Amino acid sequence: MWPVIVLLAGPVLAGLLSLVIRRARVLHAVNFTTMLALGVAEAVLTRQVLADGSVTTLGALVYADALSDFILIIITAIGLSCSLYMWSYMDEQVARGVIAPKHLGAFFFLFHMFLFAMVAATMANSLGVQWVAVEGTTLATTFLIAFFRRRESLEAGWKYLILCSVGIALALFGVVLTYYSSVRVLGDASSALNVTELIGVADRLDPNVLKLAFLFILVGYGTKVGLVPMHTWLPDAYTEAPAPIAAMLAGVLETVAVYTLLRSKAIVDQALPSEFTGNLLLLFGFVSFVVASLFILLQHNYKRLFAYSSIEHMGLAMIGFGVGGLVGTFGGLFHLLNHALAKALAFFVAGNIHRRHDTLEIDGVRGLATSQPVTAVATLVAAFALVGLPPFSPFVSELLVVSALSAKTFASDTVHVGRFVAVTISDEVRSVGLVAVFLLFGVVLFGGMMAKLGSMVWGAPREGVARGESWTVGHVPLLVMMAALIGLGVALPEPLRTLLARAVTVIVQR
Amino acid sequence: MSEFTHLGSQLVNLCSVLLLLSSFAIVAQRRLSACVDLFALQSFFLATTAALVAFLTGHRHIYLAAALTVVIKVIVLPRILRKVIERLNVSRELVMNINIPAGLLICGGLVVVAFFITQPIIPLGYLLTRDSLAIALAIILIGFFTMIARKKAVTQMVGFLVMENGVFLGTTAAAYGMPLIVELGVFFDVLVAGLIAGIYTHRLQDAFDSVDTSELTALKE
Repeated sequence: MWPVIVLLAGPVLAGLLSLVIRRARVLHAVNFTTMLALGVAEAVLTRQVLADGSVTTLGALVYADALSDFILIIITAIGLSCSLYMWSYMDEQVARGVIAPKHLGAFFFLFHMFLFAMVAATMANSLGVQWVAVEGTTLATTFLIAFFRRRESLEAGWKYLILCSVGIALALFGVVLTYYSSVRVLGDASSALNVTELIGVADRLDPNVLKLAFLFILVGYGTKVGLVPMHTWLPDAYTEAPAPIAAMLAGVLETVAVYTLLRSKAIVDQALPSEFTGNLLLLFGFVSFVVASLFILLQHNYKRLFAYSSIEHMGLAMIGFGVGGLVGTFGGLFHLLNHALAKALAFFVAGNIHRRHDTLEIDGVRGLATSQPVTAVATLVAAFALVGLPPFSPFVSELLVVSALSAKTFASDTVHVGRFVAVTISDEVRSVGLVAVFLLFGVVLFGGMMAKLGSMVWGAPREGVARGESWTVGHVPLLVMMAALIGLGVALPEPLRTLLARAVTVIVQR
Repeated sequence: MSEFTHLGSQLVNLCSVLLLLSSFAIVAQRRLSACVDLFALQSFFLATTAALVAFLTGHRHIYLAAALTVVIKVIVLPRILRKVIERLNVSRELVMNINIPAGLLICGGLVVVAFFITQPIIPLGYLLTRDSLAIALAIILIGFFTMIARKKAVTQMVGFLVMENGVFLGTTAAAYGMPLIVELGVFFDVLVAGLIAGIYTHRLQDAFDSVDTSELTALKE
């Protein structure tokens, strides 16, 4: 029970402390200690989950099984590396006068509230509480995105607040509909939205209501994931957010949003044939993947480039979950972890480049290899990982997704959405066609990313850009993440493999 | 069906329709302060509906939700929004993305769509509040439409709150209220969202000399 309490109370406590502490050094120390404590608590929780299967505590408010535990690992790992990176990043922003020293406390307060909301969303037993927590992430992050208070960042923050609030209001209607169907089976109980209750009776819920509910939930939480066409807030927000926040948004928040979708999918799949949710996810996944790959070719801003790459990778994970089955789901989940690592690395690198070169334009940056050798290596690793080259771990998960896709036989050609909208997948566009499209756009992506990021690494740096890079504490997460990307690409450690395999069985019950 | 339930169901329907009408009125209103007043009125109808359902069904926790609606959506949030409007240099919204007659027509269409979508699932509902589910979805869609059609940050916020009212009506109608902890959380989120939007309009006003979100064009492909 205590790991759960540490995970929930830690960020709240640290957030409140941040409001009263004035000295930057102490703020960073509190932040880092909290993240370390969360990491330890998460490790203990993982042991418990591996031993007992699941943990239900705090009056059934908290429920952690292999799936939520896996997501918590991503939250704590990326959060810990962020806290180290922020140490050097935020101090430099204060030293340059970009933000006033007194605002640092507010920054950490919001950061910890953001963290708390994500942990709560992941561990909530009730789908309603989960919704409250996801909306909480929107409220906590909107000012983090607009933290530098430039006109563009205010614009991005407002757009994010409005679009995500609308999306999430639709998701709430989906949750209400789920309750509408479950309260009939479970009686008028306050626990009728609890995952632990729902999973037992899901096959007796009304399929029509669940269909409608899942559509609302998919569009709602899909906005937070950044699925096309609900993605328009995402590139602006990621570009304007401070680099460590962009890393958290891309690496962790998207993952949590996908998790909320998976929870609903696990319930809906019991009442309906899994093709219903599967085909919808497949459709959104493919559209996101294709559109984002094309947009990557148009970008001239490297943070925007990484933002579109996030949309593309979430599309890829959705394809994995949409194909479903053991292999596809395993690939999708593993890809969430790999994407979080690679994307956080990418945004850390972007923060380093931006601070040195004072521009977000790809054309404005040349000769990273001479000016910032460590960052240059990290840029290349992030780029290789994001386009899916071996030996980096995204290659493995993408391979799993593609092989699941190619092995898939489509049982039905038409997805009925509600009573009157029907999405028809024609006979010709079968798995082979889908794989071909997938690989084609994979190549497009490869070319676009490598050409753009490569041009930043080589050549001679501009006049007036300092050469050489001194080691700071902010370089530690870069090294760790590069090592992790290679390590996970070569071998998957036994506890993680077991955890992933169990998480798959949470989603694929039949 | 007894006479009593029949009358009750009629009353609930009447209140739901009043909610729907007030969202149409918001779509048709140019003056910002009137939009806020109409939202407060709509929230009052919502609280009445909830109290009515609580009285007719004996679910006491809905009274709490009704009381919270009065405090947060009838008193606090409209007050915040009025404060924001006072500080602004505009009181009327002259240019819209979609003009008012066309907007009203579209909203009429949205109501039809809402009834069409909910038709297969309505028979599952409680007798008392059956048709309210369709009306709730209609209000959500109209709120959504308001956010698209309007350009001012304040009216976009009102649109969001109208959506939230629709969801709340749906909760009351479909399931006689959600578990208490969820309802409290939702109220908290709505309140904080209102506060944040208030701060934003302030900062947008400082940075752009306008709360017209169509001025927000620095970020483009």
